[in-house]
Amino acid sequence: MALAPTSEQHQLREIVRRLLERKSTSEDVRALIDGGSQGDDQLWRQMSSELGLQGIAIPEQLGGTGAGVAELSIVLEEMGRALLVGPYFSSIALAGQALVASSDADAQQRWLPRIADGSMTATLAVAEESDRWDGRDCATIVRRDGAEMTLTGIKMFVPDGCTSDVWLVITQHGPEPALFAVERSATGAVMELVESLDLTRPMARLTVDHTPATAIDLGGDPAARVQRIFDLAVIAVAAEQLGGAAKCLEMAVEYARTREQFGRPIGSFQAIKHKCADLLMEIEAARSALLFAAASADSDSEETSIAASTAKVWCSRAFTRAAKENIQIHGGIGYTWEHDAHLYLRRAKTSEMLFGSPTFHRRRVAQLAGIERRP
Amino acid sequence: MTTPMVSGSEETDEEFRRRLVTFLTDRHPGPAPKDPQDRLAWVKGWLATMYDEGFAGPSWPRELGGMDLPFNKQVVYQEEIARSKVPTFIGTGLAIAGPTIIKYGTEEQKKQLLPPLLRGDSMWVQGYSEPDAGSDLPSLRTTARREGDEYVVRGQKIWTTMAQGADIVFTLVRTGTQESRQHGISYLLIDAHQPGVTIQPIRDMAGGRQFSQITFEDARAPVSNRIGEENQGWPLVRTSLGHERAAGAMNQAAMYRRVVSELIELAHERGTTDDQCVRDALADFEMRVRIMRYSAMRVINDIITTGEPGASASTTRLFNTLFEQDLHEFAVDMLGTYGVIRPGGPSSIQRGRWTRGFLSTRASTIGAGTAEIQRNTVAEKVLGLPYDPAMPTA
Repeated sequence: MALAPTSEQHQLREIVRRLLERKSTSEDVRALIDGGSQGDDQLWRQMSSELGLQGIAIPEQLGGTGAGVAELSIVLEEMGRALLVGPYFSSIALAGQALVASSDADAQQRWLPRIADGSMTATLAVAEESDRWDGRDCATIVRRDGAEMTLTGIKMFVPDGCTSDVWLVITQHGPEPALFAVERSATGAVMELVESLDLTRPMARLTVDHTPATAIDLGGDPAARVQRIFDLAVIAVAAEQLGGAAKCLEMAVEYARTREQFGRPIGSFQAIKHKCADLLMEIEAARSALLFAAASADSDSEETSIAASTAKVWCSRAFTRAAKENIQIHGGIGYTWEHDAHLYLRRAKTSEMLFGSPTFHRRRVAQLAGIERRP
Repeated sequence: MTTPMVSGSEETDEEFRRRLVTFLTDRHPGPAPKDPQDRLAWVKGWLATMYDEGFAGPSWPRELGGMDLPFNKQVVYQEEIARSKVPTFIGTGLAIAGPTIIKYGTEEQKKQLLPPLLRGDSMWVQGYSEPDAGSDLPSLRTTARREGDEYVVRGQKIWTTMAQGADIVFTLVRTGTQESRQHGISYLLIDAHQPGVTIQPIRDMAGGRQFSQITFEDARAPVSNRIGEENQGWPLVRTSLGHERAAGAMNQAAMYRRVVSELIELAHERGTTDDQCVRDALADFEMRVRIMRYSAMRVINDIITTGEPGASASTTRLFNTLFEQDLHEFAVDMLGTYGVIRPGGPSSIQRGRWTRGFLSTRASTIGAGTAEIQRNTVAEKVLGLPYDPAMPTA
């Protein structure tokens, strides 16, 4: 398994970083937050028409560029660094990858080309009021009404749920998990904004009441497909977290090099150095975990689930710790609304919970590694 | 004599692996003897076999008896050596002084000193630290006074690993003034078999005797034993060769993989996995030991693709040492009062290996540079934070 970035991957990272350094600056992010906007449409079109970023991990015959999870992770990492406000995570990393992982050629033909060129957006709705993210124990009810399927229930914490054109809904259908698509215009579908700690990522509560839905075929082993969809979502969150963590450390180091107290840069004090060195250690461990998880997903390895959970736990740790230490190293200025440090802390803590908290994933590892013997 | 080898450029990695495995199977030295003297002879005998058959020094030049393998074959080499559980060194000279001499020694020094070192005929140990010069190594006080074509050495070295049976001590000695700090230090090899050299074992806190104190009282070393120029020994200290350590990193990860699996097994046996807190803690170690492997893979991949180990290599050691401390302390906690039974006693669990490890891993964040010094180095060299103005600069 290759864990060293290829030159193409280096290039991809550079291109995305340069774009976001110009178009998703602190001022841009704040303007979007203050305006209650859920993304910069012009940047979205530029990402699509100039760079084809929306289609990165979608097969070529479906309008994408046919790259893999490793490449998608690089894009997400850069977006996490820049705190990009926009539907890339929900539409491309969640819904797009869920469709790619399905075995429904019709559904793929219907939506993926438009997701890949950015002309529509979709999202993935998994969690319900029980706050479980892995697609188990869903209570949303599936009914068959003649030729039509309908859904009734409540989906919580749906990323970009208020603006998406299509929701992919995971729920239980009989003994197996199942995936459905609900169009924005469908009858009985109501979206409400959920006020999130993270100011840069809107979430929604989605209520469906006898709402028409399209079943998406998950093949002979739907549970395995849902597990893959979950793992891909977990890796996507982890990739964003890693980017955020690295950015927080950079901010802290930059400040510590220039801020002087007692007549010397505060970064010359060991108390600050050791914090920063420990953060780098956490971030590099998280990066190893993420690289391995993405490579596992690309090769459909049996280790994918345990690697994805490991990456989620470590990227969560690294990001939240880096976001907190960034504030601490900045001192008073880091506690102000005007400083970006709190935007990262808000994103860090929120991302910890998305698609399973560290506690959840630690227990998943315990099960997968045979530490917790399943009955 | 060295047997002629298939040219490295023609042999594939898998062909090399097969040739190596055949050698390791056919010539395996068997289990290690218990008696320390017998054990030393056993190791030396095996090192000579490896050298004579062309399987010693994976990263060393051919003309010095090494194999000069490309990096990916070094990884294969380390994997198979670890699997066959054969010893690969005595003393610390092979890993530390060898590369230094390969890089900085004269042709004559290389030819004279290195083949016996590689063959295990000569056992070398390190004399760097002193009682008053630990983390602040440039303040060392062991003096080497020039007398004709000899140096006369006085002073004390400490924390020498495996000093019993040493033939040569490779040292850092003061040839300049005390004030000149690292600009007045020379790299000198001192024959351990002479009246002016006394080796005194130190009993460590775990009860072992793996470290020694070495006293030089007018010990003599020919000037030709100095590596590099006089007063210019300091930059030689951190010499490594062909990323040898990175090639072995997978083995450390594999070793700890076994240890974690054994701890999980022990937890099941003792029924402690019924406790959610124990399961959570074990899951953390499971993840950390996996990350250890992922990071080792990353470093190896980076070296193969770019020739350099990359950013993760700088923090790997800190990560691994903290891991082994935490792991052993957790094991003791999990065993409850059985965890604090002295190792070896009849009621001790698994002969007290976890308890012993709890004590012995205290050294992990001290030896070969304390964790604090490592953090300073990472902060300054990797992150570019400013030097402490109160510290002498390099």
